[in-house]
Amino acid sequence: MSRLLLDAATLFRRELLRYRRDRAYWVGQIALPLVVVAFLGFGLNDVVRLPTETDYLGHLASGMLALLVTSGAVGGGFTLIQDRESGFLRALVVAPVSAASLVLGKVAARVAVSLVLVALLVAVFASFTALRPIHWGAIGLAVIGLTTCFVALGVALAARLRSFESFRLIAALATIPLYLLSGIFYPVSTLPAPSRMLAWGNPLTYGADLLRHGLLDVHEIEPLRSALVLVALALVALVLAGAALERREPA
Amino acid sequence: MRREASTTQAPALEASQLERRFGAVRALDGLDLSVPQGTFYGLLGPNGAGKTTAIAILTTQLRPTAGRARVLGRDVVAERAQVRRAVGLVFQEPSLDRDLSGREQLDLHARLYHLPERRARVEEMLALVGIGSHADRPVRALSGGMRRRLEIARGLLHRPRVLFLDEPTLGLDVAARLAIWEHLRDIHARGETTLFLTTHAMAEADALCERVGILDRGRLVVEGEPEALKAALGGDRISLELEKGEGAEDRLRAVAGVVRVEPDPTLPRPPASVRLAVTTADGPRRLPALLEVVRPNGLVAVDLHRPTLEEVFLHHTGHVFEPPGADPRP
Repeated sequence: MSRLLLDAATLFRRELLRYRRDRAYWVGQIALPLVVVAFLGFGLNDVVRLPTETDYLGHLASGMLALLVTSGAVGGGFTLIQDRESGFLRALVVAPVSAASLVLGKVAARVAVSLVLVALLVAVFASFTALRPIHWGAIGLAVIGLTTCFVALGVALAARLRSFESFRLIAALATIPLYLLSGIFYPVSTLPAPSRMLAWGNPLTYGADLLRHGLLDVHEIEPLRSALVLVALALVALVLAGAALERREPA
Repeated sequence: MRREASTTQAPALEASQLERRFGAVRALDGLDLSVPQGTFYGLLGPNGAGKTTAIAILTTQLRPTAGRARVLGRDVVAERAQVRRAVGLVFQEPSLDRDLSGREQLDLHARLYHLPERRARVEEMLALVGIGSHADRPVRALSGGMRRRLEIARGLLHRPRVLFLDEPTLGLDVAARLAIWEHLRDIHARGETTLFLTTHAMAEADALCERVGILDRGRLVVEGEPEALKAALGGDRISLELEKGEGAEDRLRAVAGVVRVEPDPTLPRPPASVRLAVTTADGPRRLPALLEVVRPNGLVAVDLHRPTLEEVFLHHTGHVFEPPGADPRP
């Protein structure tokens, strides 16, 4: 167990070194949510009336944070394909490093990156929207839960695919419906009943709602329930990722 | 890392009737091998002979479909964990994180191997392969030769007692290849590590290895010291061109070590000169005596040809080492 965690910590360091060096990545990750909120949010703010009694700008800003965390996490899973392409994974397998350490290292690094991004963006959003860090625990849990869940799912997908192209395509195909049916752009309660049913089965719905609870003090789902569902789904995703890796890259 | 007393006398590598099939293809077809500790051993063969498969089994990455193999007395299937701790591996394909520097790369692996005195060991390895001044550049900025040296340093990091090198100079230019050879000789000279190298470059094995085994179609066709293998082909061939031939053949036959003297038909013959081909053991040392006895015949030209490992391969397999176009790799 201690070896597993030590190896995970080592791989966490390595992932952070890589993230830290990629300046374009940080610029893109920070700019995109700001652009969407500024261009789309201001335009729709006076048009859209939400049943949650918050203004649309705040709703969209918190939703974009959830989207950022999730898409970044899927990208974190994608780094597994890069590791395989560069041959680095081969050296890890021989070392030997367990699949569990590899997944944990990637999840932890991505959690750290997401927390930094969310902190920076909340600071910026606070200057022109209603977003404030109100419930710190809910914010932290939403970021950690969403990241864990989607890094793990990304790894599980990456373990089965050989090329960058197929990963991008399938990841987009799988995540875009999740984004649209999750309360990121509009509250889930405004959806027609069939779509709403689908949204309740989407991990992102719970993460986005929990994040909104933390940043705007509004929620559609009991925060405790969101937290429990998110943790449970994250654990399931971790097991899936570990199993997919063990099968594809026997150590 | 850990050294158990029970394994100190065992051969570094042993394989008996090792077989690996991929569907209908037998990549290894009854490989027998024994490599004493401390040896610099070369496994030679054309592409597709089974070299990489042999390394994959000996380093526990692949299970044999029949037969068994031991590393330092440990079974590669039943005692996988112990074997893994005892071996280092330099892959044929690159296996570095291109975004990390050499130093970061080695530090990362030192952590994954849980090495004590990590920093000192990393610096020692960087120095050993001569990466020192480039250690902080990202791998993507390093030359092919530098990257290979870094891979070798990584393979040695955890003090493996056996280091496997799969085609360590494939795709490198001459200068980079010679630099790698120097580092490998250094490592061998330290005496701590058994080196097991595969190559399809016969000259590489000849230059580096104490013993070589020639692998063809999954079987070991011949094994021994490179010099002995070449000598077993019947010796070196010396061509002499003389002004006149009187008595030369008899006097040459009388020189110690000479096996055969015959008219040399291989070269175009200018009128009025005599050409003889002398087959002898240890040509370079016999040459002065041979030249001495033909002095009265008026020596015009001399040529010494020593058999190569390619000829050893040809002799034992009955086919040429690498038919044109057989190499699918760049």
